[in-house]
Amino acid sequence: MSAFLIANIAPLMFVTLIVVLLIGYPVAFSLAAVGIAYALLGIHLGLLTPSLVQALPERIWGVMSNDTLLAVPFFTFMGLILERSGMAEDLLDTIGQVFGPVRGGLAYAVIFVGALLAATTGVVAASVISMGLISLPIMLRYGYDRRFASGVIAASGTLAQIIPPSLVLIIMADQLGKSVGDMYAGAFIPGISLACLYALYTMGVCAVKPAWAPALPLEARTLREPSGAGGTRSLLVLTIVAAASAVAFAHWKYGPDDPTDEMLVVATSVGTGVAFFAAVLNRVFKLGLLSRLAERVVFVMIPPLALIFLVLGTIFLGVATPTEGGAMGASGALIMAVARKRLTWKLMRQAMDTTAKLSTFVVFILVGARVFSLTFYGVNGHVWVEQLLLHLPGGQLGFLIVVNVLIFFLAFFLDFFELSFIVIPLVGPVADKLGIDLIWFGVLLGVNMQTSFMHPPFGFALFYLRSVAPAKDFLDKVTGRLTKKVTTGQIYWGAVPFVLIQIVMIALVISFPQMVMVYKASEKAFDIKKIQIIVPEDQSGPGSQPAGGGSEGTTNIEQENAEKALEKELGGATKDPGSSQTESAPGNQQDDVEKALQKELGGAKAPEEKK
Amino acid sequence: MAWSVARRSVADRPRLHADRPGVVLTLLLSLSRLIDRITERIGQGLYWLILITVLISAANAVVRKAFNYSSNSYLEAQWYLFSAVFLGAAGYTLLRNEHVRIDVISGKLSPRARAWIDILGTLFFLLPMAVLIGWLGWPVFVDSYVRGEVSSNAGGLIIWPARLLVPVGFFLLAVQGISELIKRVAFLMGLIPDPGEKIVVKTAEEELAEDILRARGEEALAAEIAAQATKPDGSKR
Repeated sequence: MSAFLIANIAPLMFVTLIVVLLIGYPVAFSLAAVGIAYALLGIHLGLLTPSLVQALPERIWGVMSNDTLLAVPFFTFMGLILERSGMAEDLLDTIGQVFGPVRGGLAYAVIFVGALLAATTGVVAASVISMGLISLPIMLRYGYDRRFASGVIAASGTLAQIIPPSLVLIIMADQLGKSVGDMYAGAFIPGISLACLYALYTMGVCAVKPAWAPALPLEARTLREPSGAGGTRSLLVLTIVAAASAVAFAHWKYGPDDPTDEMLVVATSVGTGVAFFAAVLNRVFKLGLLSRLAERVVFVMIPPLALIFLVLGTIFLGVATPTEGGAMGASGALIMAVARKRLTWKLMRQAMDTTAKLSTFVVFILVGARVFSLTFYGVNGHVWVEQLLLHLPGGQLGFLIVVNVLIFFLAFFLDFFELSFIVIPLVGPVADKLGIDLIWFGVLLGVNMQTSFMHPPFGFALFYLRSVAPAKDFLDKVTGRLTKKVTTGQIYWGAVPFVLIQIVMIALVISFPQMVMVYKASEKAFDIKKIQIIVPEDQSGPGSQPAGGGSEGTTNIEQENAEKALEKELGGATKDPGSSQTESAPGNQQDDVEKALQKELGGAKAPEEKK
Repeated sequence: MAWSVARRSVADRPRLHADRPGVVLTLLLSLSRLIDRITERIGQGLYWLILITVLISAANAVVRKAFNYSSNSYLEAQWYLFSAVFLGAAGYTLLRNEHVRIDVISGKLSPRARAWIDILGTLFFLLPMAVLIGWLGWPVFVDSYVRGEVSSNAGGLIIWPARLLVPVGFFLLAVQGISELIKRVAFLMGLIPDPGEKIVVKTAEEELAEDILRARGEEALAAEIAAQATKPDGSKR
């Protein structure tokens, strides 16, 4: 019996975990309990030393001092404040007017606004609810196909998961031991491509089934000129002028050697500034150069663009770390909500309450996962998983396909936090051993997990759309016609084409790693800075974190600080000379604590195995 | 709900252990209510730290850029405060039943079966885990306090208050677990309505939906949403 246990303890532990999780008790506590139970069993069987459980407080400490996790409350808080600031409503109303005249226009507007909201904050529920309440009724009024309309709304809402800054990417970067800035840079093109694929699908629908997505009739276009003209030409001219000034500025200021992301951020800001300046002049002096539509578009685009600058811009310029970017965004959202007189004490308390609960359960899943992995690594579970995955046929490609299929199906039951904390630490090291770039791997899995928000019947985006879509036939207020409800079946079927698009996107990212690899383009520029920054850090006076050095550098310093402290702690606590300080070759993305613990475990275990 | 009221109204009918648990349970239930109140206070006090952390973090980035001044103490203060939130509010989150579950199976079970799951889970998963970690965390704190341990980073903060958070947080979690246990048992005996139901305050999502509809002058629809909004199942987020 115990021989069987000893030989198969890792697989048994994994199976136990699955069974226990399915019982339906909170994931965090189940994980920790399984970890502790198997630790006791392992000690009883002589596989592990009793000192293993002594390491538990250190595991918690490791989670506490991981300041990347601060991004969870920051971005959640930002999203909660932002969703109530009225920004999304303004955007949907105005952009709907811009694209309205073309066939499928409202769908394009939804995709565009979905991507824009995704780039400010990563809250799927808020995007889906806003679009479901604002765009869906208009789409139904003018005869959009119900399945198509609900599908495009649900899918665009989930863009928040993959377009930076998203919590998925931050957590993925943390679990894979990579820089969040790199993960953002890598996810950028896949995220935008995905939005483009949605638009392409819309275009296809318009071509094949024009009745599914009609253009808005004239009476629905409220932002027309007094003369009756649409005003799109004026908007087009303004866009071209703004874009031209951005490109011109980029050419004048930056050479080919300068970091691309910084150039993009600054040039975009210049272009936006030009448009804003023109709109303000036009407004103040009543010049009449711009159409009402163009002026309105500029004014509604400023808040989201300012927020994107505050969050992503400061990260790519190296002013803020990705975590601080979240705090900057949250402060920006607060300021915006105050300016729009939308901020009440009630909203504030509610946002803090929700943030506290959400970040608590997220971090506790991580706490549970770390307690679990302490034992799991102790009984060499990671070696078992590695053997299992390394011997898949087809090398890199075989591994990627198996992992993606696995995650696709797990995502029916687990949400992305659970997947990131339980599954990613197991498959990440194997991917690394197979020579897979971990940023590429992370972005790939990010796109994959995004589908979990969309696939019927548990997809969260579908769930929120259901809660706001008309559930019974209603009298349309504008046309006065009885309009049919949207059935749950229509919402489910509407999501299916977009899930398929998602799968296509996964295949594309696998076939064209270049989409992600562009993040490396900016790395060369960073390398020099890294060295420059780390040197003064050792003297470590105040102000030892110069801000000029790119997001990379700053992040690294923080991580290193935390890691050093941890190492020191661990070394002191275990009182085992030489066990924790030797660093093995780089390339293994388990963090230092993990390594030290493993080593300690390995060292402690070896003699026992001999006898 | 109706069922439990019916059970209570016929409490005088002879039932197995009908009297003795009555007295004990009344006491236990008031203990549970007291724990719930304290937990709620703590949770609602702690969430202000979220705002403070946001402001410290944003200010730190701005000041570093603008005045080229920074100190590790600001960085450390952020994760100290956040640790206080997530460790201190673990019990509060449990009280609100917001710790994520995988409810593909349990969602289909009866409230009584779910109460059993919670009882067994609390007894065999939550309590041993919380007690053990809290127990092991205490000497780490004492050691840190005695040594006057200070962060190894330059300008770093003193460490023992953060070390104290581990035993305190897991203690609060265990205490709230006991309260949940009492409530589940009382529910099974028909003394209180299902405590597993999420406390019916409006979710942020429902508030948002109402807000948008009101802003667009659709009071009637807003009221409808408020009335019939389906509850999130909590399994996905």
